[in-house]
Amino acid sequence: MPFIYILNIDKVFILHNDFWDCMSVLPPALRRLPERIIESVLLITAVTSIVLMILIFSYLIRESLPAIYEVGVLNLVLGEKWHSAGNIFGMRPLIVNTLLVAVLALAINMAVGIPLAIYLAELSGPRSRAVLKPTMELLAGVPSIVYGFLGVIILVPYLGNTFDMLTGRSILAGAILLGIMFIPSITTICEDALRAVPTEFKEGSMALGATRWQTIRHVVLPAASSGITAAVLLNIGNIIGETMAVLLVVGNIARIPTPIYDVFDRGATFTSVIAGEMGEVAHGSLHYHALFAVGLMLLIIVSILSMIGDLARERIRRRFGGY
Amino acid sequence: MATDKRSEALTAAGAILLLSSLIALLIQPPLQILLLLWRSLLAVVALILILQALRLNTRNAAVVYLDALIVIAAEIFLLISPPDLLISPSNLGASFSYRLLAPSAAFIAGVLILKDAINMLYGFGAKAREVLAFTLIRGSAVLAVLILGGIFSVILYNGIGAISVEFLTEPHRNLGQEGGIVTCIEGTMWLVLGAMLVSAPLGIGAGIYLNEYSRSHTLNRMITISISCLNGVPSVVYGLFGLAFLVSTVGISLLAGSVILGLMNLPTIILTTQEALRAVPDSLREGSVALGATKWQTILRIVIPSALPGILTGLIIGVSRAAGETAPIMWTAVTFTPVYVNKAYGIVPDVYQPVNNLCYHLLQLIYFLGAWDVEKRAWGTALVLMGLVLAMNSLAIIVRNHYRKKIRW
Repeated sequence: MPFIYILNIDKVFILHNDFWDCMSVLPPALRRLPERIIESVLLITAVTSIVLMILIFSYLIRESLPAIYEVGVLNLVLGEKWHSAGNIFGMRPLIVNTLLVAVLALAINMAVGIPLAIYLAELSGPRSRAVLKPTMELLAGVPSIVYGFLGVIILVPYLGNTFDMLTGRSILAGAILLGIMFIPSITTICEDALRAVPTEFKEGSMALGATRWQTIRHVVLPAASSGITAAVLLNIGNIIGETMAVLLVVGNIARIPTPIYDVFDRGATFTSVIAGEMGEVAHGSLHYHALFAVGLMLLIIVSILSMIGDLARERIRRRFGGY
Repeated sequence: MATDKRSEALTAAGAILLLSSLIALLIQPPLQILLLLWRSLLAVVALILILQALRLNTRNAAVVYLDALIVIAAEIFLLISPPDLLISPSNLGASFSYRLLAPSAAFIAGVLILKDAINMLYGFGAKAREVLAFTLIRGSAVLAVLILGGIFSVILYNGIGAISVEFLTEPHRNLGQEGGIVTCIEGTMWLVLGAMLVSAPLGIGAGIYLNEYSRSHTLNRMITISISCLNGVPSVVYGLFGLAFLVSTVGISLLAGSVILGLMNLPTIILTTQEALRAVPDSLREGSVALGATKWQTILRIVIPSALPGILTGLIIGVSRAAGETAPIMWTAVTFTPVYVNKAYGIVPDVYQPVNNLCYHLLQLIYFLGAWDVEKRAWGTALVLMGLVLAMNSLAIIVRNHYRKKIRW
């Protein structure tokens, strides 16, 4: 039937006419049957994503329930220690470490990424753009394990040497690596947001005698602020969810650094704990279920972030019509 | 005129200080010569700054005096501090040595000098602020390019030495210390192929339904929300999901890995398909329907061919993502022991066996780094992996750009 087209265009064209001719002798209810079937198959594929979302949530909840029962929600989320050998599972160190890594990484990321986006959208000539834009897109595709490898080989010894640390593996190393890793993604989205600002805004500002920088600062950036917010939120989600790079450089010791701003201490984020410990854990043990609980926590946080980011994007669309 | 000359000299001095201190921070060469340079430069600069400040009005002069003060402080620090100075705060896990502090002082001084010089050149107004901001923006653009270019070149430079015929055609032996990575390349290809078999029909079908058929606003909204949620789900969560959902039934296998990677790619492919379909103008659809074609005929023969480049781009991006992810397959599909994929009749792979994978291989080699001599092979694996993924990505970019130029509605 319809998919035969792909095989032989000429022959199938005839087939298809015959097919539709013979359809026309059928009663009207049956005549539209093939169309109906196709539509419902497509509907099923579309609903897959809802089903998948539900499946992911339900499997993660199901696997983490034993840990939640045994440890208790409050102890699990706010407990002060994560000590797998002693069967003590509290996520507070993980939350603190993840926050530290994310905040620092985001600072590095924004400090380089947003100016780069401004450069690409407002200042760059066609030639530098023709080089920079594909480079950005290519870099967004570099596998995270490769970044992790570079982190282990270059960044960790460099930090260890520069700051006279025991090992260079630290929260700082994770943050620097993640910050660099997601420069392309924040730049791409911010640039889109900056470009979506209508030219009339800029021309109006320039016509009033503002310099280009004043225009960018007081007109373009505020107008693109919701797009930039969406980019930042998306990036927080990416940074929190990134696994392999952080696993290799962060040190994987789940403790709250003392004092809390000691980013030279080793740490463990949500993802590094899951990836580091899941390999050697006994299937069905409390530790196994606790790791799933960490995954559930991560999933919830990231889902909330991506929902907010979505709302921000929706706002741009309403404000400027098109993104 | 003299003022301008002095300001230009200041700009040059600031730039030299910035560059040299950055290089000193990054490469950490012996500091003697640089110290000599910094000490003399800072002394001269402080003098010029004060001379310049005398001509300015009170408000601007105050700022310049302050900067001059800081520069003098940096100079004094560079002159009197001993080379074996080591500040180690008792509660931090790090200490700050002279090697780090001296370039930092020079760096701060350089930034301030450059700022004042530009301000003086452009007369402290809106113009000066513009030049300052644009210098900063250009600087960070250069920084980003250097970082990112550095990543490419480091991997290329170190990895190219490891590539040989043996490396590309033999399985690894002796914990990856000998042999090559052919089984990993093979396993990665089968995983990617399986992932595409899962995600391409589902993703393209869903994209078509959402853009061409769906009339219910609620359903559309629900699907959109779940897609954007799925898009943000971290890869490690997919790994956990696969472990709970598939491994108990099909074991650690090619099948489980393919399904998980495919599901992970689903949102990307749906979104790119939707975007590509949205770009097809309605006039094409209306023309086709006016000629008596049914809806599906219109979609299959008019809409999809017009949107094909966009859809293809999404698929290629999906391939490169599936090839580069480690976390989703760590517990669901891979093994480190070298295995070829068993094939029935020469082409049909045994989907219930675990496979080797480039990313996982690299991860294991990184774990072995200190213990065994695997560094060269790790660089080689990283280069092959990156080459594979980047080749896919550049293909996607080329396809997209080619058709973007060609298609005009």
